[in-house]
Amino acid sequence: MSTYRFSIDVPVENRWDNVERVRLAVQHCFEAVFRDVTGRDAVAMVTGELLENAIKYGDWYSGHGIFRLRVWGDERRSAVAVTNPVARSSTGPDRVREALAFIAAQPNALSAYQARLVSVAAGGGQGGLGLVRVAYEGGCKLSVGFADDELTVTAERDQPAVDLSHGAPLHA
Amino acid sequence: MQALKNGDLSIDVATAEGPPRIEFTWRGKSNDRYPGRVLGPFFSDALAAATKDARLIELRFDALEHFNSSTVGALIDLIQRARESKVRLVIGYDASLGWQRLSFDALKVFDRGDGLFELRPSAKAGGAV
Repeated sequence: MSTYRFSIDVPVENRWDNVERVRLAVQHCFEAVFRDVTGRDAVAMVTGELLENAIKYGDWYSGHGIFRLRVWGDERRSAVAVTNPVARSSTGPDRVREALAFIAAQPNALSAYQARLVSVAAGGGQGGLGLVRVAYEGGCKLSVGFADDELTVTAERDQPAVDLSHGAPLHA
Repeated sequence: MQALKNGDLSIDVATAEGPPRIEFTWRGKSNDRYPGRVLGPFFSDALAAATKDARLIELRFDALEHFNSSTVGALIDLIQRARESKVRLVIGYDASLGWQRLSFDALKVFDRGDGLFELRPSAKAGGAV
């Protein structure tokens, strides 16, 4: 097992101010292990965007108003997954799949992000901008799962040349 | 024009010369659920003041810690409105910060070469426009 293996798995109440609380907590946890500032900021940003989406688009008319955040990885890669309830009739899963298909259809993540920015400027609405940002700025590969009226969006990223706080050599 | 304070975000406002401009220095975090509700009217005032006094608008993000994608949407709205108003808009940021470099470099897509929109990666101290 890797020395730097980490895992966070927490239920989160669907309150907007929890986004910043949890985003900061993840950022601080990452900082406690790695000195990689860019990676720390990227994982924190990805966490924030996925939490915001869960609160915005989750089904909060039933259940306990709780969704789940998982963050895990090691010195080579990290992943953020958010699982939230969605109504059976919700178009949310399809919208997420459309966003991922849009990203996949572009030459690269930067092109996808800029195309989405232009679309927003043209009045196309901001829906999906956060996911494209996760792909571009977070350097993440996104996937989506839907089961038992729950939507899970997962963002995975490699951590190139992570700077370990205990002086271990950098990875090429 | 007065400074803005909204949640974790503050934007200081100052006028400067050489060339005449209004500087907006962002600090803290822009993490509101609906940032456009506050930033939209604030930007309207900024554009009105810049038009009235023939000044450009300079947004300085060097001291900003974080913003969400909804804030990006509000910024795009300002970029569009500034161009429509023929107000020159300069965005300064700290390119040594990975998230700022990635976020703002992508806005090059709005640079039409007409001089109305400029991205300025800078040292934290900033410099004369």
